[in-house]
Amino acid sequence: MRFHIEVEHPERCIGCYSCLYACSRHLYNTVDPTRVAVFVRVNKSLENPFNVIACRFCAQPECALVCPQGALEALPEGGVTLTPSKCAGCKNFDCIEACQLGALVLDRRTRVPVICDRCGDCAKFCPHDVFRYEEMKT
Amino acid sequence: MSSRLRQVLHINLSEKESRIDERPELFDTYLGGAGVASKLLEEECAPRVDPFSPEAPVIFAVGPFTGLLPSMVKTVAMFKSPLTGNLGESHCGGHFATALRFAGFGAVVVKGAADIPSVVLIEDTDVRVEAAASLWGLSPLQVEKSLRSPSQEGMESVASIGIAGENGVYYSGLITDRYHHFGRLGLGAVIGAKKLKAMKIHGTGEIPLERPTEFKDFYEEIHRRVVQTEEMRKYHDLGTPINVMMLNELGALPTKNFSQPKFERAEEISGERFLETLLERKISCPGCPVACIHLGGLRTSFSPQHELGRKEAFEELDLVPYNYEPVFALGSNLEIGDAQSVLRLIGKCERVGMDAIMTGSVLAWLTEAVEKGLIPRQEIGDLEPRWGDAATYSKIIENIALAKNQFYKRLALGTSAAAEKYGGKDFAVSIGKNSPAGYATGYGFVVGTLVGARHSHLSNMGYSIDQKAVKSNLSFEQIVEKIADEEDWLYVYYSLIGCYFARGVYDEETIAKALDLIGLTKTGKDLRDLGNEIFQRLYRFKVREGFNLAREEIPKRMSEIETPYGKLDPNRLREMVQHYIRIRQRQGLPLRRDDEALAELLSPTAER
Repeated sequence: MRFHIEVEHPERCIGCYSCLYACSRHLYNTVDPTRVAVFVRVNKSLENPFNVIACRFCAQPECALVCPQGALEALPEGGVTLTPSKCAGCKNFDCIEACQLGALVLDRRTRVPVICDRCGDCAKFCPHDVFRYEEMKT
Repeated sequence: MSSRLRQVLHINLSEKESRIDERPELFDTYLGGAGVASKLLEEECAPRVDPFSPEAPVIFAVGPFTGLLPSMVKTVAMFKSPLTGNLGESHCGGHFATALRFAGFGAVVVKGAADIPSVVLIEDTDVRVEAAASLWGLSPLQVEKSLRSPSQEGMESVASIGIAGENGVYYSGLITDRYHHFGRLGLGAVIGAKKLKAMKIHGTGEIPLERPTEFKDFYEEIHRRVVQTEEMRKYHDLGTPINVMMLNELGALPTKNFSQPKFERAEEISGERFLETLLERKISCPGCPVACIHLGGLRTSFSPQHELGRKEAFEELDLVPYNYEPVFALGSNLEIGDAQSVLRLIGKCERVGMDAIMTGSVLAWLTEAVEKGLIPRQEIGDLEPRWGDAATYSKIIENIALAKNQFYKRLALGTSAAAEKYGGKDFAVSIGKNSPAGYATGYGFVVGTLVGARHSHLSNMGYSIDQKAVKSNLSFEQIVEKIADEEDWLYVYYSLIGCYFARGVYDEETIAKALDLIGLTKTGKDLRDLGNEIFQRLYRFKVREGFNLAREEIPKRMSEIETPYGKLDPNRLREMVQHYIRIRQRQGLPLRRDDEALAELLSPTAER
């Protein structure tokens, strides 16, 4: 099952990090706040509201546009797919820099970007309705 | 990285050095939190050490499920308390635990002292002690803003003392991530004596799941119980200030220095009133979906020349965390019946970094002592405390934090010590030299706070046992037995170390299952034995450091206030403590002065 997911109300975030933990459990069977496709960011102090960021499944994703290896490819439904074998060996990581939103990070263990696979776990574990999500019809 | 804890970080501030010890057996045996910290305290704390000496250790420990399971979010600190001259134990939420764990550590031992104001910077296994005179004198909020890095990878925590810690106030705390506290028993002053202003911890590691499919199902079930059932609802909705009205109706809300069990203006400082008039936001600790931290907004207008236009546009907004204990301590117990004034006093304690419960206790005692003419006029000066006068109390708090003169330095030693100097011990509301929490519920609360290893209402839930005892006619012996059992069990939970509010979710069976999922096999009996072992280790430490339960006095005030049992009989209180001593002695714990083992421990020659 795949979902369309949108960070609709970041201002509602309570900073519980349930989304982020769920993401790394799903993607890598681990808990690792650095290997995730959803981010809870603290702005200098906890007195400021948290910012929540996740892939927006762009129609013309800048990360794919700059990929010199053709490893990141735009998908018809938006967002990207990654072919890790093509990505391997690239040391530019232009894709990470290219995302103006800052929604793409490098998995430091495998040296390839972390790509959201639309599992919806971030939204399902959010207790404060930060995300809007719905099942995708295929 | 392992899925289980194994590393202890040792930091020596004098030498600006650190080392990492591999101690997998320590964590596999004692789990983490209070269990591991108690063992490290035994190893690292020399007998009768001065809490402010470089040799005094400060120990932090997280648990096996930190970062792994919902509401397993706290860190235990152990140290020698300047306030009690004995065991210091304080628990804190916020980002500290996860940052430490993702940096790879299960525990940290800080010893030595820096020669100039310094900070400890932990970036995974890279540990540095750096000069930080530029931060000295700043509030914990300003320190957090300065130290938090723009990099957003992994988990980060900033812990800092305020000016009260710098100036050695015996009940100053260590504040982490703006809204969380190692509040009790004076950790702030211990850190301040080491010239350590702050610690920044940044962790980018991981915790791999050993049996991912089973683990994910288990996580989901716990998450569901925490979020969707009634088990933790009150902590999210009204938060702990729900207790104000509940206790007031029960006749157990300590008011005017514990002289009355009801406050006529309780409604005006109730959780409901805070919710309606002051609540701005709620936040969580990382890994807990409950969001129990309630932040109230304090608005202060700018100077008049800037005030053209909508009033709200020209106000600074300060967010102050509130929960029941500070509301009782700086509210009903000082007869302040106005939520905003209470929040301002809490905010004051936040900025200077002082324990709100003990601050309230000192102010309440002081007000009564001044009324009774025990304090020389010239010492009070023009700051005469009066019940309900929040503005004066605020100035007194500032002067204590600054250790402004001899008078305020005495107040900075806590209620018992101040009463030793000026008199008024009968109404110095202090149990085991700590200020009790806000529950005039009766025998269980008083005895529980006295016998608890860290003299906290959360040591053994005596206040909660009272509420059951009144309904179901528990005998006084049964109350004492429950207190002993609860404290043993809570030391299991505090080794994990979960948030107290989620204790109902993590029953014996759930904990055993969770441990199994990370490869540790413990039966219910193993766990209970472990809890007792941890308790005994801490009590042996207390006895070694001079604590003598049989000779501890309960202030007369505790028998003067009406409780749901009526007025507490001092003889019965003593009998209950005696019964407790018998229970613990049967378990092999030496607690009486006439015990040979104790006599030996107390003799100065036996120590080294």
